[in-house]
Amino acid sequence: MYTLRNRIGMAILVIMSCTAVLFAAGSKEPSDTTVGNTPVRVSFWHPNSGLLGEAMTALVSEFNSTIGAEKGIRVEEVYQGKAADVATKLRASLQANRKTDLPDLAQLDATGVMDVRDSELMIPMQRLVEEDPGFSLDQLQEGTVLSMTYRGVMIGMPFNASTILLYYNKDAFREAGLDPEKPPRTLAELASYAALLAKRSPDGQSVLRYGFAGVPTTYELVSWIGQQNGVSYLTDKLNGHEGNPTRVLFDTDGTMARFLDEWRNVYASGGLGNMTSDVRQQFIAGKTAMFVISTSSLATVIDSVAGRFELGVGYLPQVDETSTGGVNIGGGAIFAFDNDNDPGKSASWEFLKFLMSPESQLFWHQKTGYFPVSKATYDLPAFHAHIARNPLFKVAIDQLHDSDPRIQSVWWPNSYQAYYEIQNGILEMLEKHVPTEETVRNLAAVLNRFMDEYNRMNKE
Amino acid sequence: MRRTMGPFDILKALVATMLGLIVIFPIYYAFSASFFTLSEFSASPPKLFPSSFSLHNYVRAWNDSLLPRFMANSLLVSFFGSVLRMVVAILAAFAVALLRFKGRNLLFFVILGTMMLPADALIIENYLTVSRMGLVDSYLGIMSVYLLAPVQLFMLRQSFKTIPQTYREVAAMDGCSDFRFLVSVVLPISGSIVLTLWLHSFVTIWNTYLWPLLVTNKPLMRTVQVGITMLGYADSLDYGPIFAAITLLLLPSVAIFLVLRKRIVAGIAAGTIVG
Amino acid sequence: MKGHHSSLRRTISGYLYLVPALVLAYLFSYRPFLKTIINSVSLVNFSGKIVEFVGLDNFRHLFADRNFQVSLVNTFRFALLFIPLDLLFCMFCALLVYRKRRFNGFNETLFIMPMAVAMSSAALVFKALFNPTIGVVNHLFSLSIRWFDDPRWAMLTIVLLGVWMAMGLDFLLLLGALRSVPKQLVEAAQIEGAGPVSTFLRVQLPLISPTILFIVTTRLRDSMLLGGPVMVMTAGGPFRSTQTLVYQMYVEGFVAGNYSKGSAISVVVFALTFLLVLLAFRFERRGVFYQ
Repeated sequence: MYTLRNRIGMAILVIMSCTAVLFAAGSKEPSDTTVGNTPVRVSFWHPNSGLLGEAMTALVSEFNSTIGAEKGIRVEEVYQGKAADVATKLRASLQANRKTDLPDLAQLDATGVMDVRDSELMIPMQRLVEEDPGFSLDQLQEGTVLSMTYRGVMIGMPFNASTILLYYNKDAFREAGLDPEKPPRTLAELASYAALLAKRSPDGQSVLRYGFAGVPTTYELVSWIGQQNGVSYLTDKLNGHEGNPTRVLFDTDGTMARFLDEWRNVYASGGLGNMTSDVRQQFIAGKTAMFVISTSSLATVIDSVAGRFELGVGYLPQVDETSTGGVNIGGGAIFAFDNDNDPGKSASWEFLKFLMSPESQLFWHQKTGYFPVSKATYDLPAFHAHIARNPLFKVAIDQLHDSDPRIQSVWWPNSYQAYYEIQNGILEMLEKHVPTEETVRNLAAVLNRFMDEYNRMNKE
Repeated sequence: MRRTMGPFDILKALVATMLGLIVIFPIYYAFSASFFTLSEFSASPPKLFPSSFSLHNYVRAWNDSLLPRFMANSLLVSFFGSVLRMVVAILAAFAVALLRFKGRNLLFFVILGTMMLPADALIIENYLTVSRMGLVDSYLGIMSVYLLAPVQLFMLRQSFKTIPQTYREVAAMDGCSDFRFLVSVVLPISGSIVLTLWLHSFVTIWNTYLWPLLVTNKPLMRTVQVGITMLGYADSLDYGPIFAAITLLLLPSVAIFLVLRKRIVAGIAAGTIVG
Repeated sequence: MKGHHSSLRRTISGYLYLVPALVLAYLFSYRPFLKTIINSVSLVNFSGKIVEFVGLDNFRHLFADRNFQVSLVNTFRFALLFIPLDLLFCMFCALLVYRKRRFNGFNETLFIMPMAVAMSSAALVFKALFNPTIGVVNHLFSLSIRWFDDPRWAMLTIVLLGVWMAMGLDFLLLLGALRSVPKQLVEAAQIEGAGPVSTFLRVQLPLISPTILFIVTTRLRDSMLLGGPVMVMTAGGPFRSTQTLVYQMYVEGFVAGNYSKGSAISVVVFALTFLLVLLAFRFERRGVFYQ
């Protein structure tokens, strides 16, 4: 048994020495050199990765080395995975009711709002705003404040606001004989463009390039439904901004049917690819000529296209000529939590104020594509210089200003499941030729059931 | 032992090698892609070999993230977790296989019954338990749900049962206590299977993803499996640092496997239920 | 009386050896399981508190849910693809190398290498390999399948990942079993003029059937519990084609905060694994050959 013991011994030795080395290498966490009083640590969970993550890291370290160093505050940013993962982690901690596991601040998107909206441990952002006489909500874009308002109170700081945007490949437009400066304005135009842009292999078997790729779901619908009849909502209670929604409205007011009819025409053009994953990669690889995604992807798409083709962006095509409401403000917001760490959240508030300052907002905008929330940013000379150099960013901002701020993202239960239900419903309609009315009825039934289930368990 | 190889043997070896190469292709690809530059990733047709062995992806993965710390966390958790897990399983298996007392079969089945309770399905309740114990963001919290392994307990029991009862009688006559009998007779005899199961435990804990994801909030406490999916490059086509990290991850486990290959094979063979 | 006393002492010391395992079994298995059962027959609100007892209502809703039916079908679809593929491939590999010959040690090492790779790493690599844009799979086999967009194909990527991750252990189990078949039996069959196929079917297969049964049973159980790879690779998509029971449970329970439904699904998963394993053991009693 000597060999066995030797080997076990060796294995232990190897593992332990590796661990020691790795700890030494991995201990390059920010060391505290502040002499005297230790700084207040503000933990901040966020879902920013890639270019967005780099921009966030830059903002945090700038704060830590300037205002933070001055006031004895140290922000510790924690990337927690995708936006849904941040929400999942938060809810787990909220439920265990352990304040110590909660962060001071967390950045969430619309799907995460349901998780914190009614929690007693969430501190409504408006309270922090009102405690600071030097800050007022008037400094922020109106639509962004509305986008985070629940029952009349702004619950989160709309730090990363964005809208949906059409991205297209200008080279492909030229190739198809289309004017590269005129992206489609309506879904009818989208259909005819897509037909021209699609390219098949010589044998006709496989599609080399789609005209447009994607299957619409919650994100697209809040705009495509919202922009009809002036302003419309998917559900009652103003898309859940006035309380728990109880039923969908899109079936009775005809908005969904109108959209689906138009979308069916886009599919009938033969240029639509029903893709649900890696659409952005497909676009960058030239395998689809158009797609829609958040403005927050703008910097990343520019960076990844890297001159492979000329990139164009345009307004989200309207459902039809009469649907003039524009697009909804999406993106996310930063929420504050009562975790005993930073009582009164004064340190956290300093960081938030820094993030919302015109300069930080400009930096964040340039590095990502989220638009500036602070009104003062738009007056900065640096902003005008940036917009002049990068006309694509201007399109995104113009679209925002041309939209009705009352169009809201939807806060409803089971948002994750609802997302797939809508996608599946639309796909089935297209591929299995389900009539529009039946599709609307099915979607309404399943989404209403989600709301019933939730309201059955969570009585207000 | 080895006879000369006939043509049929050579053919079989060739087919086996080819299949084997297909099997390790993903590993090869991760290794190869860890040297790719950004443009090599999006090359069409896709590349299989890097054009140079530049370490830039490794440098980025190592310096831009807490990768070394993630690896250290994983090593610690896997090592102590697997050791504790073996201790728990050995003690229990010894009792049910070699000691005679009332109710031992019932208790054995109570423990074995946990095999029927899918840990993944209990993850929400387990999170609440661990959280209430204040073990979120702790090594013990990460290990906690892996400390009981009914399958290993079962395998150890099978192995311990093959030890002739006479050994124990002789040992008892010499005044040897149960515990000393376990340590100085049972364990050495079963060294091979114990080592195999320990290794298997080590790898199992090293490989877990969902649970460590849930019970760690602080980046400093993350295990490497959770860490690599959060390297933050996943959004773009920039897979280089991810593959570099995966390759770094593979090194320790591959090393363990190569060093202990024979023992793993022998151990698994001994633990099979033939006969 | 002394005998009685020492038997009591023996019992107590026996229990002591079992205490750590029993405590863990209670804390991390039975207790959470009981709570899951209670949740499955109650209405549980968003913050995890029980609102009222509703009997089997949650199950009635669950089985009427089309979404759940899809998960159920997908889970079995996975098992039916994964287990035969895994067994056939591992058996084929084991038959190739079970005799100790030159190179076989090397080949053996190749086959067990996947054991060294973690699920999340493997899933990331497979995702890249099957990526329609940059992936090498489509390129090498001149395919143009959009693996993660096409409901017909997405499950296959998960099955392949599953086989790849399971094959190290299953190959070794079969290898060990094949090697423990007495040489004389195989040689005797060969002397009688049996070819390799009939030797395998008549001599080896019956003798290793307990190992096969063991593999089928554990892999059936694993299939019922498939969740992690789905999470990393496809998130249940496209169009729910890879949504499994455990994945849906995770989504309902953890992501959507619908604990009643999540718990009800987990009870169904529990019942399924239990039934399947029970079935396997019954089958073992009747049909499997013991040496």
